Amino acid sequence: MKRKMISLLLTSAMVLSMMSVGMTASAEEETTDYWAGWEDVDTSEHVVINYMTTGDKPTGEALDNLNAMLDELNAILTEKVNAEIEIYYIEWTDYLSNYNLTLASMDGSVDLVGSSTDWLDAWPNAKNGAFLELSEEMLATYAPATWANVSDESWEACTYNGDIYFIPEDNYAQWTNHGFSYRLDWAREAGLEDGVNSWADMTTYFAYVIEAYGDDLLYAWNADGTQYATMVGGWITSNTNYISIDGINSGAMWGGTSDDPYTIYSPYLTETDLLVEFAELMKEWDEMGVWMTDVLNNTDLNNRDEFRVGQVAAEQHHTQTWTDLCSDTDANTIYDTDEDAEVGFFYFGEESGNLVSLSVTHGVMAVSAASENPERALMVYDLLRNDETCYRLFNYGIEGVSYEITEDGYKTTPEDYDSETQNIAGMVNFWWGRNDDLELKNAEYNWDAIEELYAEYDEIAIAYQYSQFIANVDEISYMIDNISEIHTNYMKQIAYGKYTGTAEEIVAEYQQALIDAGIEEVTAALQEQINETYGLE
Amino acid sequence: MKSKEKVAVKKYKSKLTFGQKVWQSRVLILMCLPAVLFFFAFNYMPLPGIYVAFVKYNYRDGIFGSTFIGFQNFKFLFSSGKLFQLTRNTILYNLAFILLGNVMAVFVAILLNELRSRKFVKVSQTIMFLPYFISQVLVGLLVFYLLNYDSGFVNGVLGSLGLELFAPYSNASVWPVILVIVYLWQQTGYNSVVYFAAIMGIDESMLEAAKVDGANGFQRIRYIILPSLKGTIVILLLFALGGIVKGNFGLFYNIIGTNSLLYSTTDIIETYVYRATLTDFNFSTASAVGLYQSVIGFVIVMVVNFIVKKIEPDYSLF
Repeated sequence: MKRKMISLLLTSAMVLSMMSVGMTASAEEETTDYWAGWEDVDTSEHVVINYMTTGDKPTGEALDNLNAMLDELNAILTEKVNAEIEIYYIEWTDYLSNYNLTLASMDGSVDLVGSSTDWLDAWPNAKNGAFLELSEEMLATYAPATWANVSDESWEACTYNGDIYFIPEDNYAQWTNHGFSYRLDWAREAGLEDGVNSWADMTTYFAYVIEAYGDDLLYAWNADGTQYATMVGGWITSNTNYISIDGINSGAMWGGTSDDPYTIYSPYLTETDLLVEFAELMKEWDEMGVWMTDVLNNTDLNNRDEFRVGQVAAEQHHTQTWTDLCSDTDANTIYDTDEDAEVGFFYFGEESGNLVSLSVTHGVMAVSAASENPERALMVYDLLRNDETCYRLFNYGIEGVSYEITEDGYKTTPEDYDSETQNIAGMVNFWWGRNDDLELKNAEYNWDAIEELYAEYDEIAIAYQYSQFIANVDEISYMIDNISEIHTNYMKQIAYGKYTGTAEEIVAEYQQALIDAGIEEVTAALQEQINETYGLE
Repeated sequence: MKSKEKVAVKKYKSKLTFGQKVWQSRVLILMCLPAVLFFFAFNYMPLPGIYVAFVKYNYRDGIFGSTFIGFQNFKFLFSSGKLFQLTRNTILYNLAFILLGNVMAVFVAILLNELRSRKFVKVSQTIMFLPYFISQVLVGLLVFYLLNYDSGFVNGVLGSLGLELFAPYSNASVWPVILVIVYLWQQTGYNSVVYFAAIMGIDESMLEAAKVDGANGFQRIRYIILPSLKGTIVILLLFALGGIVKGNFGLFYNIIGTNSLLYSTTDIIETYVYRATLTDFNFSTASAVGLYQSVIGFVIVMVVNFIVKKIEPDYSLF
């Protein structure tokens, strides 16, 4: 109660002082000092803010480097807000279970929680009571810079039943649409002058590399059993104008079309011919030997690193990954061993021009409902996201050790830089607060190629259509669980060409199983909710 | 004379109050106490938590504050249409594990008992015991590197002999055999210890008497050792049957992984639930499944115990 009173008083004081700060700043045309109002916040008690992120905890020398950075950062945080930050890792093995379990324990062991509405369970956790509702006053007071810079529209996308549950990473340009990174130089050898631009080209490419380089490669693509959903999703994106609703299940099986986003359907049920064609093509790839025979049990999950050193010819992941693979960085030794090496990107949807921009809630920061210091957690977040010194320390490390800035303002690595132990960004995984205003472009990156592709994207991409829609799946979750399970089981066989019988038979069996599990009921329920959200009919 | 004594004792005992009885058996009760406390803390205190299977669990409201929704959490299990196949797989595998596991364990224990060199017994026991300590994750990898099609050891041998290659990872029908073999390899050494100890406890004079009467080795096993082990076997079987609906998740998940081609013969309740609820973190559904398994397990134990009691009352659990 006492705390509530104090915070109420402070809030009103803050709002007043904020207003005056805002006014003077605009009058003097200076950079706004967002944090002037914090002088009135009681920060007399030193607190530790635990920041929870997915990622493997660094060890050895890497951990020493991380701690060196944190020491320096925490000195600044202590001076400014009398707090320090510690990182709480959710290791990649079974990360989703452990992530949810940590949140469910509600023991105050974490304060700031990195989350996402499409690849981590941000909404289910918010609804289960794991996240603190963030009032506008709270945000304006304790995260003033973020509050000022995030648009109303973006806040809207983080709101459920009138409460804001998290802070979106809405000022960071990235593309996480999937596709294949491939060797452009080899594609040209295969007769594809403009590189791979369709699934048919990809087939030609694979056939060529197996023929020409098969002996030098481990596999054309050392796939593992997990990529079935992206593969079939990519196939559908490439051949229709289907756009999916995020966060209903991992297969993204429901959505509308870019022309008519609010008529909900599942292409997995309606696009029978397309799925049969896909099944046949994948059987062809399997028989060509694109991946290993026992791909569904493959435990060698290093395809990307194998691509970097030239042991495989393709990597299926998103554009952001390709921006690294197409650049001559230390890790990408293909550029040293083969001076002709070039890496192109075939993105799913390229043939049909079907591309959706990333939702602003792809990366969000939440505050745990069990946090003992939510105010201070917000203050720390605000500095990490908006204060240049803190931002660079946290995301890049110590200048001169982990990174350097070139004369033209690019980020580069010092002489004795070791990507294994000094890649601070890869240790803090701050995927919930990156900020283009403070980002430094990587000098090693192949910006010509990247910007060319980004320009192409900007031209065709449409905005994510369902940012206002948060599905209520309580009543239908048991059907969705079973549908996801069916999708996984059949798609693994279909997407790696491992099914027995004909393509028609397996697709028919799959679709019948979907119907039996209630896919039509789920579609109808979602349609009803969409109508409600968008005020249709 | 004897019956009179018994009556006297009975009379004397019934005269004691509860407090006196407790005081009289204080040493025994004290010895039991750790076990009683353990089971109370870990088996009885969490029982009210079963309620979570009937609510829509909310982290902040807690188990008893969340909304009651009846049997809705069970819907998932029953609507999948797979419950029969899953329960069948789980029970059949466990039956194979329990029956073959015990037969092998008794067999090995008897073999060990017949060995004359103590040193050799120690060495072979240790070697058989070792697989029990290997993590299931490593066992899964081991099996994969033995059996995978492209670079597995088995296919390496078959290939160099010019024989047809073996493709178990795309053939569901071979897995019941492989899984049972792996299970036996891992567990037999461990399980045989109990039987070995039981054999050690058999009265030496009986065996010597049999020897004097001219019984050969096989006859001694058939007519003395095996009948003496009967009680142990029945009790261990009864205990194991209680868990017959609970699958060995570690074994199945690490060896089969998420290879859906093999599910028809290898999917058990645990692995299915794990996959289906992995993306939808739900305590309530998981508890509902746990409750289903416990109820079935309970029914099976009661039935089997009833049957055992009818046939041989001494060997029943209660």
